Amino acid sequence: MRRRAFLSGVGTAGALALAGCREGVETRSLSGPPVLSNRPDAVYFPTHVEGMAMTGRADAGEYAFALMYSYPHRFWTVTGGEVTRTPVEEADDVHLMATVWDPETGTVLPETGLDVEISKGGELVSQEVIYPMLSQPMGFHYGANFGLDGDGEYEVTVSVGGTNTRRTGSFDGRFGDPARATIGFEYSQSDRDGIAFEETPDRAGDPTAREPMEMGMPNSVLPPADELPGDPRGTTETGDAVLAVTTLAAPPAGVDAPDGGTYLAVSARTPYNRMVLPAMAVEATLTAEGTLCGGALPRTPDPDGGYHSGAAVDAVPAGADLELRVPTPPQVARHEGYETAFVGMPPTELTL
Amino acid sequence: MREPDATGDGGRSRRDVLKAAVAVGGSVGLSACLDAIDGGEGSGTEAVPSGPEDLSTLPTRQFAWGEHIRRDEFGNEQLPAHQTLLYLTLPGEGPPTADQRATVETALTRLDEAYAWSHEGLLRSLAYSPEYFDRYETALPEPLDIYPARRLSPFETPEFDRQDALLHLASDRPDALLAAEQALTGERASANGVDFDAALTDVFTVDDRRTGFIGAGLPAAKQGGLEGVPEDGPVPDGSPLFMGFKAGFARNQAPEDRVTIQDGPFAGGTTKHVANLRQRLEDWYGEQDFTQRVMEMFSPMHAENDWVEGVGANLEDGSRVDETVATIEEQATEFGRVGHAQKAARANRDPDGTVKLNRRHFESADDGIASLHFPSLQREMSEFDAVREAMNGQDLTEITPAVRQRVNNGILEYIFVRHRGNFLVPPRDLRALPTPDGDAPQ
Repeated sequence: MRRRAFLSGVGTAGALALAGCREGVETRSLSGPPVLSNRPDAVYFPTHVEGMAMTGRADAGEYAFALMYSYPHRFWTVTGGEVTRTPVEEADDVHLMATVWDPETGTVLPETGLDVEISKGGELVSQEVIYPMLSQPMGFHYGANFGLDGDGEYEVTVSVGGTNTRRTGSFDGRFGDPARATIGFEYSQSDRDGIAFEETPDRAGDPTAREPMEMGMPNSVLPPADELPGDPRGTTETGDAVLAVTTLAAPPAGVDAPDGGTYLAVSARTPYNRMVLPAMAVEATLTAEGTLCGGALPRTPDPDGGYHSGAAVDAVPAGADLELRVPTPPQVARHEGYETAFVGMPPTELTL
Repeated sequence: MREPDATGDGGRSRRDVLKAAVAVGGSVGLSACLDAIDGGEGSGTEAVPSGPEDLSTLPTRQFAWGEHIRRDEFGNEQLPAHQTLLYLTLPGEGPPTADQRATVETALTRLDEAYAWSHEGLLRSLAYSPEYFDRYETALPEPLDIYPARRLSPFETPEFDRQDALLHLASDRPDALLAAEQALTGERASANGVDFDAALTDVFTVDDRRTGFIGAGLPAAKQGGLEGVPEDGPVPDGSPLFMGFKAGFARNQAPEDRVTIQDGPFAGGTTKHVANLRQRLEDWYGEQDFTQRVMEMFSPMHAENDWVEGVGANLEDGSRVDETVATIEEQATEFGRVGHAQKAARANRDPDGTVKLNRRHFESADDGIASLHFPSLQREMSEFDAVREAMNGQDLTEITPAVRQRVNNGILEYIFVRHRGNFLVPPRDLRALPTPDGDAPQ
């Protein structure tokens, strides 16, 4: 397999790809190239691209887990509208990533909390609540940098919290409980250093994104806007995010709407590759035939249309005007290339 | 393992040996301890005060500690510096016998004789789990609000302590604490001049032993090499706890009367929840500045108004958290964070403002890992659960996505629940293997 093909993520499982990349890769500085000085307030191609290696997967409770790792790298945390860079610390050895999904529908679950406990030979090495995070090749996942205790056999226990937000459709009544699974992790620095790494000065800063990486497990891609269930009503954009609107003839199971009505759903996704943008506050004002209604749209994992913000409304006639506001942008940490997008998100409108 | 108060001659002081011995425990720790005691250093070794001539003068409430410990200049209770929790099981099934009851009562009576009921002597209580009472055919009386420990958040997976009994020992004197434990577990025949003709281990087996400490200076002294505390030793010298702030302000603690069961066979008792929380303070100290720590421990209002200096001694006898409760949702929206204390306080007040829970938590370095032992006393166990639910703050994640299940949500990011156990602390006259209907026939 050509190394370039793996870097762009064309159809290969991680472990195989890792083996293919191990030969002939030179040792490199873990700090990576400097952050671009002229980043756009939008998605951009990062200064370098990394591969990753699959550590293992496990099932526990209602969840499936996968654990991956790569080089430790900088990322940005988001609290409200404030973006804070987390640099690589000297003691960091790996960037660990976990994905949680529903094994029945293959839907990635973005509203759980998650912590990771790492031990080696029965001795505690680390334990952290890790960040919900967005990267271009993986989309939504949980991740953090960790220091390890040298080469050897580790046990990584991944604990997922029960979901607090409303769930709809076949998710109604599911995912309320926590679960944990332990995954073995055989780590060596030389294996890690075999993971692909390439600086990308020719493309860095371009208004595009890396292709999603195929890891042999579900990723967090949402359906295309025009393939959403119900009556797709169009899209609008803010802060480089695409907001796709659909209406359902009746609210799905799990929505407390005794009077029925129409269900308005707005799903936010990244440009270029439709990765879910979760954990943001969305408010809507609907104006139709001189009447006006509005309010917050609760965050809602759903297996059919995917994760969205939605609410029951009386009716959504053709030609209605919808204003969407984002008082709080997606509260997920960002890998490079996503840290300037989806932060400043002014109100936007579309005619349905 | 050197303590900062080591003697200048390069050897370990007697106090060092004793403090280390509590943590090490067992016969190795104790023999080191006894060597130090018997070494005849003479000066500086005050006698441990003995129990009263008339044991009927002892408090009827086993948890009546508040009037018998140190207070700081503001009247805040200073819990005994050294503490041990022994989780005890009865072998076999079914209820205990009258003989076993007599043995337990004898052992505890010897303890009463040996040690003054104070921080300079030894404070203690023996509590029983709901699982213990399941040994009997009869159930606990219906109005008693106690039940087996359960999961109290959607993100924890603790082990439940379902042993029969929990012995809690506390003293400012590590030598007294160790000798008492050793006498109660049959590893020495006498303690503080009293012969022990019975031991708790004649009846129980020790399932688990957990130790800890609290008080300004102790966490800073013990932070070196401890898993969970950053290597650069950020815990301030003046802090009684690893997280760098005072806790248990007098006006934020339930009076002992408020936690006392009023009616029924266990009137004069209380319920006791004991959690153990692993602490992971790398990001607490590494990613957050002081202002952010104040926001997450107390409230954003505390940070905004500069109410907290250093470890919070300037707060005197009250944390001011009640002033921050009404606007918690606005603070969450404005600052993207909420405070631990303000969340919990929402469920921890009677209509007249009286605090419901009496929290007696202390730190631990067991197994080389920083953790917190969290005993809480309350009249009804469900009062604890309600406060914990308020502390979970899951409702606030719906106010703003900036407050997540465990991030920006008080201190939940830094604590990991390892154990939970629920116990009934009976009044003193029922401390020896009581029946569910409030008898202890010997």
